[in-house]
Amino acid sequence: MRSPLAFLKPALELIGTNATVLPASGGAFEDMARPDIEEADDRFFGSEKEAKEGFRDFAETPVPDWRELYRPTPPIFRSDEQVFRYFCDGSIKTYFLGTIIEGNRSYPLELTQIGSAILYRQENGALKVAKFQRRILLLVPYSDGRGISQSLLEELKKCESQDFEVVDVAVADPLSERRQDPRDKAGAKARFEMHRLEQQLIEQFAPARNADEWTIIDGGIRKSAFIELPRTVGVAKSFDRTPTFTLRKGNKGTIRKDISGLLVGLKYGHRTVSFFAHGGKVAFWYVRLREQGEVDYPLMGVVKVEVPTPKEGEPIDANLADHLSAALIGERNVTPHGLDKRWHAHLYPIFQAERVIKSNFFSEPVLLASIRWPRRTVEI
Amino acid sequence: MNDQQEQIPPPIIGKTSATERDANSSDRFNFWLAPEQIINPFDIVEVEHMGEARDSEGKPSGRTSRSYGLVTTIEHKTDSPNHLANFVSSNFGDVNEDNVNTPRVGTNVAKVNILSNNGEVYMPVQSDRPVLFASPEGISEALGIDTMAEKNRIPAGLIKMSNGASTVAYLDQEFMLGPEGAHINMAGISGLATKTSFAMFMLQSVLQKAEKRKASDGSSLSDKIAVIVLNVKQGDLLQIDQTGEPPSVDQMEMWEAMNMEPRPFQNVQYLLPRSNSPGTPNSFIEPVKGYQMYAYALADAADKLDLLLSDISDQSGAMDALVGDIMQGIVNREPAFKNCASWENLLNGEPLVKNGKTEKWGDHYASTVGKFRRHLRRITKTRTTGLFTNSRARNELNLTEQIREIEGGHVYVVDIARLNDEEQKLVFGDVLRTVYELKAEDPENRITRKPIPEKVIFFVDELNKYAPAGVRGSPILEQVLDIAERGRSLGVILFSAQQFMSAVHPRVTGNSATKILGRTGASEIASPDYRFLDDDLKVNLTRLGKGELIVTHAVYRQPVRIVFPRPAYKQRQPGT
Repeated sequence: MRSPLAFLKPALELIGTNATVLPASGGAFEDMARPDIEEADDRFFGSEKEAKEGFRDFAETPVPDWRELYRPTPPIFRSDEQVFRYFCDGSIKTYFLGTIIEGNRSYPLELTQIGSAILYRQENGALKVAKFQRRILLLVPYSDGRGISQSLLEELKKCESQDFEVVDVAVADPLSERRQDPRDKAGAKARFEMHRLEQQLIEQFAPARNADEWTIIDGGIRKSAFIELPRTVGVAKSFDRTPTFTLRKGNKGTIRKDISGLLVGLKYGHRTVSFFAHGGKVAFWYVRLREQGEVDYPLMGVVKVEVPTPKEGEPIDANLADHLSAALIGERNVTPHGLDKRWHAHLYPIFQAERVIKSNFFSEPVLLASIRWPRRTVEI
Repeated sequence: MNDQQEQIPPPIIGKTSATERDANSSDRFNFWLAPEQIINPFDIVEVEHMGEARDSEGKPSGRTSRSYGLVTTIEHKTDSPNHLANFVSSNFGDVNEDNVNTPRVGTNVAKVNILSNNGEVYMPVQSDRPVLFASPEGISEALGIDTMAEKNRIPAGLIKMSNGASTVAYLDQEFMLGPEGAHINMAGISGLATKTSFAMFMLQSVLQKAEKRKASDGSSLSDKIAVIVLNVKQGDLLQIDQTGEPPSVDQMEMWEAMNMEPRPFQNVQYLLPRSNSPGTPNSFIEPVKGYQMYAYALADAADKLDLLLSDISDQSGAMDALVGDIMQGIVNREPAFKNCASWENLLNGEPLVKNGKTEKWGDHYASTVGKFRRHLRRITKTRTTGLFTNSRARNELNLTEQIREIEGGHVYVVDIARLNDEEQKLVFGDVLRTVYELKAEDPENRITRKPIPEKVIFFVDELNKYAPAGVRGSPILEQVLDIAERGRSLGVILFSAQQFMSAVHPRVTGNSATKILGRTGASEIASPDYRFLDDDLKVNLTRLGKGELIVTHAVYRQPVRIVFPRPAYKQRQPGT
């Protein structure tokens, strides 16, 4: 039986023939993402100014009173109204293949599987795959001059296909540009490419939606770029825990709250007021899906919701935020409890979208069997 | 329109599934079911497999081979790792929580035992293959019915599938009436009228099938089969020649599907036991079209005293020796028994009694003789139902002689329902022994010139009374075992029934090429006698309905569930 990853062979032969390879033990091993990686990405996607000064401006109308930071949003269930129809997620698996030595340069070689899926929820609540895509990326640094040679990169590019692409890690992007460690940088690049795939998928798919059908995308609304699609909401189960909020007390100065201070007062079935982020392009707020007594500490059971604003700096309608929050609380059951430690903030359809992607990834035994370096490259 | 309908491919009900932990094998496979698809255990499914199917001559047919399987159990699987996750998902145990936007992902997974592959390919069924309900032809192929010669196919009921399709379950005559195999044993709890009804249906099926076939001399094959039915309960089988209620439409459809007629038995002779009231039988009802009475004088039972006293405890064998000598003395008209012509004579006269006292006789101690007298008196005098008489009246027959004259094409119903246990055993043993001798040895004293039937089929309920498990050396048991083990070559066939298979001697059930199981309790199916059934299938025995049976047959590769029509003869009304 031919390996489904046979398309990798010419690329590996090229590298093995034109450079020295120090293979990873076992051929390849998975680069495990840190558990708080989404939280970190949320921070990296955010602007430095907001991180420094805190969020200041309410992003909804009517403008909330600084003393009324929470709004009741009793759940809306599918039996009443099915607000969210589509659920989009991306997933990633990255493998370190080895260290490549070309001349006096050495760099890590990483292979990543990225995928994105959109699930559609039918009238009876059952899910169907609406769209799915998977790609294999070979990650090498090039444009910073400290990685792969131009000629080898050009040869490798000839091996590209619809499912396989060679990606230059050194091209700057919001996630990887501030990372220093080469493998850390490659991992961030892989996640950036995953977000890009998510964005492509959702933008291709958006026109197929009906006028009253909303889409939830996992994580923030900013992926590789801002997703400025109507009826699209980003819901993050893991988010930056460092921001602060600077609230104006009318004309009596300001009060500063950190995120814990804000969320500790957020009750089940409520949302916080919304704030502008990304220079007014996004409105975000927090919604509590679960009673605080049900979870271990105040920040659990809370999701961060992001929607693109109608125009930069233009607030959203508070009723819309209420409606979306109420519909999100309606999504609280069932949970992936026991399957994902973030179950308290995980939306089950998003969890299933992730499963769709992962179940379509090549398994590790298949991948390892496909990593075969030419014999001469083991000589140093 | 019909052509168009025929071109519609049968619906796919699921796809095979092999996983890391739950692999498909040569014997089993799994498949997940399409949402809302309903199937049940014992449904037969088919799936396309590797290799080429073979035609009836075993040559490659050019078609892809198909594997057939029997659904043994269906599981519902979800992605919930434990029950706690479900509890949490219901707002931490809110039993009124029913607002679930996205139901938990789950699927029904059926487990299937491989029945056969029409290309003799027993590689594991591959994953992701479409699964269909087997077609009627597929079911025949799956069970091996297609390998049975048309003339050997005896309808045993209908296999009904969850998609509404049904097909006839045929038993192979050569494995039911010999010579390849023989006997049917039925087990299941009482009260559902299923075992007896099925036995009578099978007798009807055998006779009707035989009726349609001609022997080389031009006679109907049914003339070569005799049936002996022992009626052990109420008057259940004393009206089998009477037409019952007309069958309902559903019932009629079943009869027609099997190409059979719903009708009572023909040429039935009823043999009823004598009662203590002169001239009247000891039966729950008297058959409308007449009957004959039988009774036992000493001369009739002298050679069967071992059967009569088979239950007496006799650890030293002294009693057995005495009974043997007495039987020989009477049968051979030895001088010591010259005046011994009645039960009264035997009990109170010489050689066992002298001057009113029990005597030592020959090598037999007086105590053994006394024991023999006490038991014989109890059985033939004080506790008898009237079966024993010192001298038979003209209208009271010798059952042995009557059975010896047995003819093909007739059904003999021997009523023993109101007899006590010892009497029942005597009659059963007598009938069995007479038929066995008739078939195994040169027939002596047979008056009729009509040929001995080629096949004699017995039906007896409560077999556990006559061939109980865990008993050794009983004359009746030996008789039953003889028939169970050698009957197929002699043409003596036993259709037997009992509540618990575990209560019957394993050599009897083990020699039955066909086993029929009705509803059975959970504790019973835990016994080793049911090892031949898959554990998953066993559970289904506890919930079989009225008229539903599980059939295991030598030709079938797996047990199947069947339904069969109610008997067409007159039946006792419930509560009467």
